[in-house]
Amino acid sequence: MPDIISPPALTPADKSPQASVYVWDLPLRIFHWSLAACILVAWLSANVFETLHRVAGYSTIALVVFRVSWGFAGSRHARFNRVLPLLRAVPHYLWKLSRGRAGGYIGLNPAGAAMLVASLALVMISAISGWMQITLRFFGVDWVETLHTWSSYSVLVLAAIHIAGVVYASVLQRQNLPAAMVTGRKQRRTFRFPKR
Amino acid sequence: MKTLVHVGLVAGLSLGLGMSACLADGYKDCTKIDKASWKPASEAEAKAKAAGYEVRKSKIEGSCYEVYGVKEGKLYELFYSPEDLTLKHTIAK
Repeated sequence: MPDIISPPALTPADKSPQASVYVWDLPLRIFHWSLAACILVAWLSANVFETLHRVAGYSTIALVVFRVSWGFAGSRHARFNRVLPLLRAVPHYLWKLSRGRAGGYIGLNPAGAAMLVASLALVMISAISGWMQITLRFFGVDWVETLHTWSSYSVLVLAAIHIAGVVYASVLQRQNLPAAMVTGRKQRRTFRFPKR
Repeated sequence: MKTLVHVGLVAGLSLGLGMSACLADGYKDCTKIDKASWKPASEAEAKAKAAGYEVRKSKIEGSCYEVYGVKEGKLYELFYSPEDLTLKHTIAK
């Protein structure tokens, strides 16, 4: 496996604070937090408030459809054309992460790209299988119910991993990544720090 | 501070899960009698069929038999008491 993306060398210039860079475009940010809200609402309303659960599910389907089209029409860091090479770099990146290095990515890092693909797929499976349960064709069909249950749990597990990963990357990069998903801006600085 | 916010977020989510687990599903109390003296689920399904429902499946929900039925293209969840097979509750999906 070729090391396609290696971190930039640590030079004195990288240590100085530089201007922030605009990374996440507005539709992407709205998508991100809307999806987070939908997942939270769907989770809390499951088996409790069915109407709310359905609204959350339908909204989720619309959001994923938007995100996929935004992967072609969005700005630089929203597009999917970078995702494939990033996915190939995942094993190497995870190894680097385990050694406390976050790599020099201003947009998605390889782990983030993997999370994006896995989340979009599982969220869509969860939402569609949920919707299928109340169709005439699939009402009371066991495999649909099972698929919805387990894909939904998987989404929650992914969300937990996502939050943990963002916290860890925030610490490594010494910048507030959740805030970057609000403002759209990240600090341009080296993401490589000496081991403690 | 940042980490604190995240810890708070995770704690909030866990609380939410606990809450929703406690509130749980719509209808589940149909009888107090011991499970050993319950009538068979097939009889609940037969009652639903006799009432004109196409029965998709049935399962035990709390102390109820929950029958998934379709009638005139509409979806229903029927809750029968395993004690005397009276229809306790109907949810139109």
